Amino acid sequence: MKKVLALMLCFALTIGCLTGCGKAPAGEEAPAEGQNETTEEQEGAQAPENEDPGVELDMSKTVKIGVLVSDSTTAESLAFQSYYKDYIASNYNVELVYSDELTDAAGEKSAIDTFITNNCKAVISFSSFDRMAQLEQCAGAGIYYAVATGTLTDDEYAQVKDNEYYVGAIGPSLEIEFQTGYDMAKYYLDQGKTRFAIFGGAIPYYTEMHIYRAAGMLTAMVEAGGGDYQGASDKDAIIGKLFETASIETGSIGSVEILGYVGGYDMDDAWFAKCGQMAQTEGLEVILAVGNGSDFFGSSIAGTDVKIASVDAYATAYGEAMEGGMLDYLAGKFSASIGPIFIATYSATLGAPIRTEDGCALALSQGYWVATSAEQFNEFYAVDSSTEAPAYTKNMLDTLLGTDYATFEAFVSKYSFEEIQTMQ
Amino acid sequence: MKKGKKITTKILGIATIPTVTFIIMIILCAVNGVKLFETTGNWIAFFRAVTSVMLTTFALSINLNSGRFDFSIGSISLLSSIISSTICIKAGLTTPFMLSVSLISGIVLGALSGLVYVLIKLPPIIVSLGIALFYEGLSFAITNGYGVSFVANAELISFPSVAHYLEVIIIALCVIIILFDYTRFGYNYRALLSGQKVSVNMGIKEIPNAIGCYAIAGGLMGIVGFISATNTGNIQMALNFGSIGVMFTAFLPMFIGGFIGRFCNERIGYVLGAVTTALISLMYARLDVDSSVQQIVTALILVGFLIYLNNENKLKVLLIGKRGLHK
Repeated sequence: MKKVLALMLCFALTIGCLTGCGKAPAGEEAPAEGQNETTEEQEGAQAPENEDPGVELDMSKTVKIGVLVSDSTTAESLAFQSYYKDYIASNYNVELVYSDELTDAAGEKSAIDTFITNNCKAVISFSSFDRMAQLEQCAGAGIYYAVATGTLTDDEYAQVKDNEYYVGAIGPSLEIEFQTGYDMAKYYLDQGKTRFAIFGGAIPYYTEMHIYRAAGMLTAMVEAGGGDYQGASDKDAIIGKLFETASIETGSIGSVEILGYVGGYDMDDAWFAKCGQMAQTEGLEVILAVGNGSDFFGSSIAGTDVKIASVDAYATAYGEAMEGGMLDYLAGKFSASIGPIFIATYSATLGAPIRTEDGCALALSQGYWVATSAEQFNEFYAVDSSTEAPAYTKNMLDTLLGTDYATFEAFVSKYSFEEIQTMQ
Repeated sequence: MKKGKKITTKILGIATIPTVTFIIMIILCAVNGVKLFETTGNWIAFFRAVTSVMLTTFALSINLNSGRFDFSIGSISLLSSIISSTICIKAGLTTPFMLSVSLISGIVLGALSGLVYVLIKLPPIIVSLGIALFYEGLSFAITNGYGVSFVANAELISFPSVAHYLEVIIIALCVIIILFDYTRFGYNYRALLSGQKVSVNMGIKEIPNAIGCYAIAGGLMGIVGFISATNTGNIQMALNFGSIGVMFTAFLPMFIGGFIGRFCNERIGYVLGAVTTALISLMYARLDVDSSVQQIVTALILVGFLIYLNNENKLKVLLIGKRGLHK
């Protein structure tokens, strides 16, 4: 009798295990525990075949969107998070689920797994360790994927532009990064400055955006100085040279001089000593930073005429640095610049994806707001940090929901402070 | 005669490593056409490195010598500097106040860390990891993640100078020597080091001593936080154990200090260990050595030194044998 009971119990357990371990095919992920009640809410986020931009979108159901975060401590990432948490989340019927601070591709994969389990219908990524793998994972699970504040390379875009789950990317393209560096250097060259130092940020780690910004600076110097940089005299050659060396050589470019260079973010005694000695180089006029410059060099130039130019975001610390003379020029991302990619993603989850005329994913570029005085900074910052009326308000963003590509593209392309103010 | 030999051995033992390092650094710089100390900025960078590495080494060694691996010292440095700078910026206080508040915050945070350790009774590594995460999170919460910036505050960024760093070195060294060599607390500490069970049986209270050690280490790290913050005028956030890296700067000077400590007070050994590593750091800066090369060289020096320490007796036998052959 005991044997029969034991056999029956084993049989029951085996059947139970088999039924419990069933796996839905890709795109039909089995809901996790506690998810059934939300499935109905997500009906609007069905496959794109159901799309009909002409139909009014049903926004009555809460849509969960996962946000991959790669950095929780920089001014830029905090400003972005603030815009989503304090403005977007309170103005749209969405629940934004944030990942931990990610440090590698494995972390990205794990975070997306968590989003899928949490019934997120889309992922907006600020993390770039392996974007192609992120997209593949999201598409495999049948959820939308978008890149915030960045762009894919041309090759990557060609591979994925037709993927129905790839919403697209909006952010500074490498061309814009180049132009940002170029404009920054030219601003000082036009003032007659000729003695520069460059902070290369993540150039030693081959970070493309920093390399392109530095290449822009060097190209402007080559044009103004009349020489060449290590034998390279045009944009492509300079970019190639920087990728080859992952560093910047000091020396003369015609009449322009690069007196110092520091790269990396080692933050140890040797690195701070390097920063200090670069900032205090005799005859130095301007420090051009591909990233944040005032935090690392500000105290070293206190009381001197040396100018610092940075690329980052609009944060109070930079306003104080500008007022104190430790920062002279800031090319900053505005926090609301991530509004349009949210709308594109949200729109897709509501069944109205925004695609190009050819049906491809978005690949749009946006640049920076440039402040060259404390007054200008304060004007930009007031708008950028506002949780009531940020640069892109709900009224403005609503016009993009389910819109056509031309309207969307025109909206995104007008990103300067003045243009956005006019739109409001 | 014997006394004279002893003194010579002591002087050689104390001075050899920093002197040889100094000569090598000077030669390396000269070969590359650079002066190791060319500007005031170089001197300031050198003394800043000596000060912060020395204090970190003191802080790390206090607990490590007792078998307590403390991963939280970096986070104490971070949080105490955030507390002090925030208070001083808001109240418009001067640099000495910031230093004092940093020191007091460090002592309180360190004592709290020690209290958690003695109450929870988990291995110190685990407790200190938890404390590190907690203090990092607290720092993040206090500043909303933005850190603290006072780069435009001329008063608070005026601290870096050779004289100020020398004052900190001398005062900290004297205080630590007095505390650990000339007080009841220090006697108890050393008794517990040599045999905890026997010491406890003799009536020494190990719990207050452990909390005291954590508090002192915290105070030292509070000063490190102050030095680091006033160097750049801003405090960057660290999350997910990002603050732990600070403690690794102290290992090489601690081993060097331990070796030199055979010939003099161990704390003076730590100072000389800090001088040695600061010389190497300055050389890296002056020669613009790539960070990857720096890491390799530092690792090789550390490993080489440990190999020497572990095979010291064999080397002595080898040398004596050779001398015998020459005779």
